[in-house]
Amino acid sequence: MFALIKREVRDHIVYFIGAAAFSAVFIIMAISILHNYDLRRQPPAFSIVLGIPALTIVIFGICAMGSTQMYLDKTRKISALLSTLATSRNRILLARVITGILAILTLLVPLIITAVILMRFFTLLIPFPMFDGVVFDISLTVFLMAFACYCIGLQSGWNSNPLTPSLGALCLTCILLPLIIVKGFGLHIVVILVLFIVASLIRTWHTFMTTSL
Amino acid sequence: MKTLIRGLALNYPVKVIATGLVVLVLLSLPLFWMRFTCETSLFFRMSNEAKGVSIAPSLLVPDELEKDPNVVSPSRASASIRYQRPMSLGFFDYFIARFPRGRCTNVYFFKSFNEWMYFDVKTGQLVHSYLEEQVMPDKTPFRKKVQLYIGPEGVSETADKTLGRFIDPLIDHNWSAVTQRQSRELILFDKKLRCFFKIDFNQRTTTKGPKIGKESPVQKPIKIGRLSKNLFLFEDHLFWTPPQIKYSGKNQSNKPIPIIPSYISYDAGPYMLVLDESGEIGLLDKESLTIAGVSGRLPAPETYFGSRSTVRPRDLLDYEVMPLFLTTYFFENPEEVKMAFGDLSYLFKRKASRVEKNYLGMFATGVSRDGSALALAVFDEKGKVIKKEYSRLPKQEGRYTTYLQSSKAFFFWAPWSPALTIGKYLAENLHPPILSVASYFTASAFEADAGHRALFFLPNSFIAMKGRERPVNFAERFFSALWLILPSIILAILLSIRVSKDAVVVGLSENTRLYWIIGTLAFGLAAYITYRLTRPKITLVTCQNCGKPRRPDMAKCHRCKSDWHVPELIPPAWRVLNGTELVHDNSPGDAEETVAE
Repeated sequence: MFALIKREVRDHIVYFIGAAAFSAVFIIMAISILHNYDLRRQPPAFSIVLGIPALTIVIFGICAMGSTQMYLDKTRKISALLSTLATSRNRILLARVITGILAILTLLVPLIITAVILMRFFTLLIPFPMFDGVVFDISLTVFLMAFACYCIGLQSGWNSNPLTPSLGALCLTCILLPLIIVKGFGLHIVVILVLFIVASLIRTWHTFMTTSL
Repeated sequence: MKTLIRGLALNYPVKVIATGLVVLVLLSLPLFWMRFTCETSLFFRMSNEAKGVSIAPSLLVPDELEKDPNVVSPSRASASIRYQRPMSLGFFDYFIARFPRGRCTNVYFFKSFNEWMYFDVKTGQLVHSYLEEQVMPDKTPFRKKVQLYIGPEGVSETADKTLGRFIDPLIDHNWSAVTQRQSRELILFDKKLRCFFKIDFNQRTTTKGPKIGKESPVQKPIKIGRLSKNLFLFEDHLFWTPPQIKYSGKNQSNKPIPIIPSYISYDAGPYMLVLDESGEIGLLDKESLTIAGVSGRLPAPETYFGSRSTVRPRDLLDYEVMPLFLTTYFFENPEEVKMAFGDLSYLFKRKASRVEKNYLGMFATGVSRDGSALALAVFDEKGKVIKKEYSRLPKQEGRYTTYLQSSKAFFFWAPWSPALTIGKYLAENLHPPILSVASYFTASAFEADAGHRALFFLPNSFIAMKGRERPVNFAERFFSALWLILPSIILAILLSIRVSKDAVVVGLSENTRLYWIIGTLAFGLAAYITYRLTRPKITLVTCQNCGKPRRPDMAKCHRCKSDWHVPELIPPAWRVLNGTELVHDNSPGDAEETVAE
């Protein structure tokens, strides 16, 4: 299993580098915004203006990763080759999904740590938790949204035509992403995204297991 | 376990349900934006005249002031619908609810690092920090930071268990705005302890009121003090102006001035307003901390299909209540008497010897769920409704002016609004019919604000509006609601016929076909897309018996039930013999003649 994951990481290392780079950019942005932030005022508009497109690019990237993984498998018959070795298709798919989660975590974990530290510093002067649970809510929602988009990539990537995976995944991500605008970061969006992810994974698994190599 | 999970995951129904869920989520989102765009455009196109209501004279001002001969314009209460649709979206709502004063935070206000108040859940005490004006012996003023811990049993500068614990306190969120001008006194209600408390910061005492009795008109208070649903919207939507007189002094423009000074701070004088979950508004006596009576209730706006006579706060997109009281200041000189609407004692240099506060009544507004209608009601000091006005669009018809209900004007009487209404209607009809029917039954279950970010159940759809209609004959109401989703039902029937035909072609079993028909009737377009994505992708071959396409992976033709036509392999009657070999007599009768090499 570990070897399969290692192979997946090596094949898609560019996504991991991208995730780390974006994570660094976000950390710098967060520090610079909070440095000049006044609690009594609304959050600065530019943080939203810059934050939303950057987040969109990241999520498109994660979706592209899922799409690429499946498309390359379909066209280069990677699974067919691996199945001749001592492994099963279940394991191949599982390793792929774990790699996707690792890429998302590469992006989010440093960001979450930074956010928690910044919030601690920021609220040092106030003896009460000002935005209790906000970091957790936002992190969980962003993680689930990124994973849901990755699942969209997995579903649309299983195609021999190069146009369908890229355009299909792009369109579906464009549709799913504004769910954050509609539902915010609460329990509702978490429930919807968890159901969406479970359903997508079942669909991907079914497709992957029943298609001839 | 592994086998079970694997079996479940590879099961056809599981795959269909999973695909259906993905399709439903992805289909609901574009439909949401379509509805959102149409509804927002409808609001923008609505005439400003249809968004406002005005009552003049306001009927609460004593006659000696209202009918004063110098009055050039009477007192006026006016209200208008505020634009707030984007604020209803989850993203904005999440942050608004968590900012100080929001509904999901324990921070009641935060003015600076020295001035704030929050509820500490761990200790069950309110913690309040403020700057107190003090004078040094050399008469230089300075501000001292004071931090107090407040519990049901008292106030202290240190957190102490003897102060007791509040469990679920409710305070006037507007308190911080008026605290600078008035005595440092806070009234709060604890939802679990079910009684009011008065905290005096100067005396550092807590006074506990009696428990709310069962006979009290207010049983479950949800807001006290300033009763407004959206405190974060900076634009007020309820205004009151006192009677105006012409100013005769010099150095002033000819602009009329109020007959007596007024300062409206949402304070009800000797009382405090308490809003109940049911929409009833009670008057809390600030001295005895008991509910002294009812001051009115939130008015129900006129919606498109006619609304119920009473509304709860959660049924209204926005509401605002403004109490009015008259203060009379008596000074040492018995002839010197001053009057003001609201409390203006901070304006006087001398302290009045006696102050009388008379509660006059209140104005209350309510905005319908979809933001298309507004009601403004005036209640007297006994809580009796004096006048109620609804938002209307004036229409000139020849020499006469007729007034059209604003919720009807919203959908049909602005440029392009019929097209936008049709767009909204079509988007609602592309929604799964079963969810539309569920929206009818759950029409009032959702909070009005939350209805604007609904994806699956649509509390603001036409069918849900019908569900909130006045309770008349249930069957009649239900069938007329079904009439509203007729396009959706027709579409579902057409799609189910298509699915049924295709299912026959691809050879799905009768049971599976039946489930697909029921599913498509219930979920409409979403089910059809799911069917297209999950139907068996097999290249059909021509059946030699019936000539129609049949599945190569099935033993019998799913149309004519005929087996595969496989020619029987009959051994040839001839065979090649070795030169020495003899033909036996018991060779098959139909065998062909043996050929010798």
